[in-house]
Amino acid sequence: MKQILYYFERDMRKWSRSRINVVASLAMPAAWLVLVGLTLPIRFTDNYLEFITPSILVMTMLFSSLQGGALMIFDKVLGFLNKFLAMPAPRESILLGKILFISTRGLLQATVILLIAGLLGVRIHSPLNIALVYLTLFLFGVLFSAIAITLALHISDHDGYAAVNSMISMPLFFASNALMPYDKMPEWLRMVAMVNPLSHTIDSIRVLFAGGVPVEGMVGLAVAAGVMVCVGTVQFRRTGV
Amino acid sequence: MIEMHELTKYFGSLCAVDHVNLSVGNEIFGLLGPNGAGKSTTVMILTTLLKPSSGSASICGYDVVKDAKKVRGTISYVPQDMAVDIKLTGHENVMLYAKLYGVPDRNTRVDDVLELLGLTGRAGDLVRTYSGGMRRRLELAQALVHEPEVLFLDEPTLGLDVAARKKIWEHISALRERGMTIFMTTHYMEEADEYCDRVAIIDRGRIVVVDSPTNLKLGLGKDASLNDVFLENVKTGEDQAGFDAFRFRTMLRRRS
Repeated sequence: MKQILYYFERDMRKWSRSRINVVASLAMPAAWLVLVGLTLPIRFTDNYLEFITPSILVMTMLFSSLQGGALMIFDKVLGFLNKFLAMPAPRESILLGKILFISTRGLLQATVILLIAGLLGVRIHSPLNIALVYLTLFLFGVLFSAIAITLALHISDHDGYAAVNSMISMPLFFASNALMPYDKMPEWLRMVAMVNPLSHTIDSIRVLFAGGVPVEGMVGLAVAAGVMVCVGTVQFRRTGV
Repeated sequence: MIEMHELTKYFGSLCAVDHVNLSVGNEIFGLLGPNGAGKSTTVMILTTLLKPSSGSASICGYDVVKDAKKVRGTISYVPQDMAVDIKLTGHENVMLYAKLYGVPDRNTRVDDVLELLGLTGRAGDLVRTYSGGMRRRLELAQALVHEPEVLFLDEPTLGLDVAARKKIWEHISALRERGMTIFMTTHYMEEADEYCDRVAIIDRGRIVVVDSPTNLKLGLGKDASLNDVFLENVKTGEDQAGFDAFRFRTMLRRRS
């Protein structure tokens, strides 16, 4: 479906044209990496930066994906969606193009984080593992951008979506193993963190950083992403205009 | 070209389009009516964006529900919102549509439609710098890039200045001469009078009259304008909203 790429290209051009967007989307995760990764006095690991880099990568993807839902709302309220839906191109390609764009944008941000972490001394030893880190982050991006768009289409109102976004993004991040390992958490938080998809993704990325290959984690993520894309497609078909 | 048979659309218990029967040939056809009369809903059913509750409609022989995809390949739709990407250039905006429609030899075709709508000189500029009239012409260029047989325009001249409106109408008339069918809605009676071959007046979802502007005016007597025809036929609006000129004036007097 070439049309997915055309819709992707449209969003990419629009995004890259506004420099403030690009800079702003990179500043926040970089600040986390430096201000949290380098400063917290933590005793459970010798190198907290190495512990937290995977978390920041996943956090970047999470926030970027959730924000992406707003793009669909804008297309809808500004009338673009109506014009696209009246065209013979497969309607799903609008949705899939959006998911592809949001995930790719997240990966570009993640690349900057990886580079900064590299400068600060974090290393991944094999090129294969670097590629798998990207793949894992991409699957995670697809999962959450599909969730974001499904929610956005359901809410259909920009302010309402922004509120829901801030309501879920922070708790999801803090109720995971992003900042501390499971055995340092209070019991109740561990229960939550164990079922949080964020924790599983962060675990997978940590394994990849350490040189292993988390087959189970990646397959699980791929299945979840696939299911969510299907749910998003159903919601998209139903919403229409 | 466009056939509607007992076309009906309910939103909950509200009947937005009420058993409409209309047949539109190769012409500029204007759908007139007060706000909320069902104009946009009708256009959205014909452009496959909404499904009718009952009845049927077809475009060039294709049913808008069963052959929706064929309908979409035959038509173009320009909604009232002015949805063009301001962070893209005029050329990029049109090229996106050429790609999505799968237009053959698209580079030439995009240049052609930009030329046709007088945008060649500014095609490389970001749409952010375009005036309202230029943005509307850019939307027409997008709509024309795949040479549709039927063009749907929802309020094409809304919010434009006199010169820009005249220019849009010249383009629409030129398209008509090239054999395109144009189905449009408008609030501007003078424009409908001057440029539409036939008009229909819709009120509360029902078609009240259909004819050429000339015949409609003649029916009302010498010196009648299309505005008179409109007011004569439309019952919705101020009297239905309970507007009472006497009470309104009293109220104003009390305020001062």
